[in-house]
Amino acid sequence: MQITVNGEANELNEAEINLAKLLDIRQVESPEMVAVQLNGEFVEMKNYTSTYLKTGDDVEFLYFMGGGSR
Amino acid sequence: MTGFTTSAIHGVALKRDVHGSLRVPVYDTVAFEFDSAKDINQAFAGRKPAHTYSRITNPTVEDFEQRIRLVSGGATAIAVSSGMAAITNVILTLAGAGTNIVTSKHLFGNTLSLFEKTLKPWGLEIRYADMSDPATVSRAIDNNTRAVFLESITNPQLEVADFRALSAITQDHSVPLVVDNTVTTPYLFRTRDSGVNVEVLSSTKYITGGATSLGGVIIDNGNFDWRNSPRLKDWGIKMGPLAMLGALRREIYRNVGSCLAPHHAYLQSLGLETLSLRIDRSCGNTLALAEFLQQHDKVASVHYPGLPDSAYHTNAKEQFCGRYGGILTFDLNSKHECFKLMDSLKLVKRATNVNDNKTLILHPASTIFCEYPDGVLSEIGVRHTMIRLSVGIEDFEDLKNDLEGGLAIL
Repeated sequence: MQITVNGEANELNEAEINLAKLLDIRQVESPEMVAVQLNGEFVEMKNYTSTYLKTGDDVEFLYFMGGGSR
Repeated sequence: MTGFTTSAIHGVALKRDVHGSLRVPVYDTVAFEFDSAKDINQAFAGRKPAHTYSRITNPTVEDFEQRIRLVSGGATAIAVSSGMAAITNVILTLAGAGTNIVTSKHLFGNTLSLFEKTLKPWGLEIRYADMSDPATVSRAIDNNTRAVFLESITNPQLEVADFRALSAITQDHSVPLVVDNTVTTPYLFRTRDSGVNVEVLSSTKYITGGATSLGGVIIDNGNFDWRNSPRLKDWGIKMGPLAMLGALRREIYRNVGSCLAPHHAYLQSLGLETLSLRIDRSCGNTLALAEFLQQHDKVASVHYPGLPDSAYHTNAKEQFCGRYGGILTFDLNSKHECFKLMDSLKLVKRATNVNDNKTLILHPASTIFCEYPDGVLSEIGVRHTMIRLSVGIEDFEDLKNDLEGGLAIL
């Protein structure tokens, strides 16, 4: 599966993968501070495991330094 | 969940200091270094958790922001250079030319001036309603209303609204309710629990402790769907509950440049740790002084929500954890008497600030409201016979003796 993560093309071996797993395998730094966008829209943390990716998806892991939390 | 004071002291565990320092140091630096061009690009894009420039974020300021977020129960917090900067940033974030905000005429003088004299000429309509009568607030709201703004205890009128009633109205209209919680702070008033959406604070006051530094805070309680805000709709889609934080950090707050100095953040984190102790003491002294002044034959009237005969006593008691703040006002028979009393005091300081450790006295009509003519003063409930007392944490008997001595010579 071909997706874009933080602006870079990524080839994933998994046939099926959700956002929670992607955060894990990408070893995202400080995951408790990251906000996830899928195709330009915010995804709530409670939906990470139920949100499955498909080819062509554009995922952004974004950080808000300072007084923010997910 | 830990208690208020435990959270204020321990904060949120960020990165461990390289030397194991128990207190986050003052990062008095403007910029932060990166190993590669790609790294700094990723940080600017928000794809890497790193500070870039202290006008946007700074580690010492971040520590303060996280502590405030924790004790307030809010979703996000941004520290700014003053309470006025907090209000300005919030209004710039929510409203604009051709829109309106609904507020009260009973506001801190500089806030009223910001709305009337600074923002109105840019095309923002300021609508006034009686916050003690939620029906008037409802009638003032229309499709162009971008916020309803009021103070937790108005300064210096010392009125207290029913915030649950107001939030029910603003929720119906999908308009955010913004409250200046400076004189009550999250310790006395957890605004989120009353349905308030955004809280602003002048951390210069109670929080800093001892009036060491200027500062302000914007707290988004995380209970407003920003996709319903015309100004923040796109941010709401992209950032969900982080929309307001995103719009501020990546646009308005960043561009305005009203950032909190790292040294001030350090002082205010230190102040926050003892906030609950100081407020308890200040509120106790204020109630005792209000009762003393109420019995004094030279005093025409005393205004304090802690007094059972105050029209705002019940609202304050129910919403502010049974305490009533550290400010009272009282009236003498003339402006001359007010000045005479003020000049006779030996311990209480003549100064324009509130919620310092020291007790401060002020004649509002001739100072923080001096830009307004008598007609306006009358409309906003600021009298020439009124004195404002911000009560500190000194020993009560010393404060009473100082005031008693001053009143005796009238």
